[in-house]
Amino acid sequence: MRSTRRLIARLHARRVWHAYLFVAPIVLLFGAFRVVPSVQTLVYSFYRVELLRGRLTFIGLENFADLLADPTFYRAAKNTLVYVLVIVPVSAALGLFFALLFDARFPLRELFKALYFAPMVTSTVAAAVVWWWLYNPQFGLFNVLLRLVGLPIQPWLMSSRTALLSIILFSIWKGLGYNMVIYLAGLQAIPESLLEAARIDGAGALQRFRRITLPLLAPTTAFLLIYNSIQAFQVFDQVFVLTSGGPAGSTNVVVLDLYRQAFERYNFGYAAAEATLLFLLILGVTALQYLYSRRNEVSY
Amino acid sequence: MLASPLRALGTLGLLALVAGVAVLMVLPFYWMLVTALSPAADVMAFPPQWWPSRATLEHFQYALQKAPWLIYYWNSVVVAVVSVGCSLLFGLFAGYAFAVYRFPLQNILFLLILSTLMVPVQVTSVALYVLLSRIGWVDTYAGILAPNFASAFGVFLLRQAIRQVPLELIEAARIDGAGEVRIVLTLIAPLVRTMLATVAMILFLGSWNDFLWPVIVINSANLRTLPVGMALFKDPYGNINYGPLMAAAVISTGPMLIAYAVSQKFMIRGIATTGLKG
Repeated sequence: MRSTRRLIARLHARRVWHAYLFVAPIVLLFGAFRVVPSVQTLVYSFYRVELLRGRLTFIGLENFADLLADPTFYRAAKNTLVYVLVIVPVSAALGLFFALLFDARFPLRELFKALYFAPMVTSTVAAAVVWWWLYNPQFGLFNVLLRLVGLPIQPWLMSSRTALLSIILFSIWKGLGYNMVIYLAGLQAIPESLLEAARIDGAGALQRFRRITLPLLAPTTAFLLIYNSIQAFQVFDQVFVLTSGGPAGSTNVVVLDLYRQAFERYNFGYAAAEATLLFLLILGVTALQYLYSRRNEVSY
Repeated sequence: MLASPLRALGTLGLLALVAGVAVLMVLPFYWMLVTALSPAADVMAFPPQWWPSRATLEHFQYALQKAPWLIYYWNSVVVAVVSVGCSLLFGLFAGYAFAVYRFPLQNILFLLILSTLMVPVQVTSVALYVLLSRIGWVDTYAGILAPNFASAFGVFLLRQAIRQVPLELIEAARIDGAGEVRIVLTLIAPLVRTMLATVAMILFLGSWNDFLWPVIVINSANLRTLPVGMALFKDPYGNINYGPLMAAAVISTGPMLIAYAVSQKFMIRGIATTGLKG
């Protein structure tokens, strides 16, 4: 009896040893390259970091005070917020609209779905380079088409009035297929019998959509709103390629400003403060949307 | 279709709408290809030249002369393969440990791994760069790979998949004398191969298209990955030459688009079921 227990104990001990061995690589790598830098960023935001001299000087909240007094950061934060506030609901709405269309059976459905999704698998940089050419005010295809049908041509990326909107249009094109496919998966999980029953009870198409489909899609909607917000707050690639933040700072965004402060001007402490604010913003919005969606979740 | 208030559209109207928007979705790709293959005179033509007056490869030749695209390819491949390979291997073993074993600190370690999902590389980049510059990893492959040797999503998804494997199977293998490492590699891995393939695809896509971190950590031209090379090819001296630029875009997006054309069902399903877009 004692020897059995000892055997079990030994087996168990060996498994514990295995367990630590198996999780060690990922825990160590994540510890070194993810967790420590996260905490370190927070710490740096209270310091002046001089990398070349290897000097750290504690300056309290000075970085944050500078940040909040900086009109460039203010502009970048505002642009980022506008970008998020437009792109998140519009992407979800368009995704839902096209998912409803694709929920039907029609010829070449799979082919069309693949075409809608294609921008998703393309690198943002390469796709943005192509759009940069399409947006060219003189020879770009968009203005050429506008001229062709006799509409006034647009300055697109060249005017501070339209540049941010042009970037938003690009991002909506890039993400439409993704939003659609996620909603489509949500739609296909709704039991046909529910909608059938409602139809027999005399509910019209619009009523069935509002009372059954939409509430049952709430988890999908919550997921997309949160995921798209997180992604949108971090927008960088397309802004870097299309406008580099111009003209006159009209498309500057937080991550681009952070990139410039840290890796062009070597203001690491200042950039760390920006990163900290960005993180808090993402965390706050995620928490808010999560709580809100939890409160409104419906189950049948 | 029962779910849809759009039924009134009718199949024909539906098809017209879907096809019309599909044209808009594909137009940038089409125009990229046409511009890349057209002679310079066509590129600026009005009305637009929808089909090249003669197909030419001169823009490709120019683009290949101006930048080392083969080196960019090689760098992208190395980074993607090492990052996906390591992530799968570490993810498989860690996923197995979290799914099958019970050990002290298990939940804390799992939460620690998942918590990294909350802090994107955009936020950690500042301190990560400082750290890597101290250990001499800036401007190296190791530097590009540092935050991508492992994937939290990979661990999570593989743990979920391994949980579906009946414990009796694992017990039977143990009784047959198989060691734990062999169980993971020869019993578990084949059983969760669909999830392994999905995770590999998503991570490959993410690595292949990643831009921000590589552009931060790379200085040398011969370490640039494709997106970095592409972004810096755009505007080296302010002179704009759209033909070669679009040729470069074709070079840089071509392989991924071909891979997508071949396996689009698998790729769309993988991204839809996990909710991840690389």
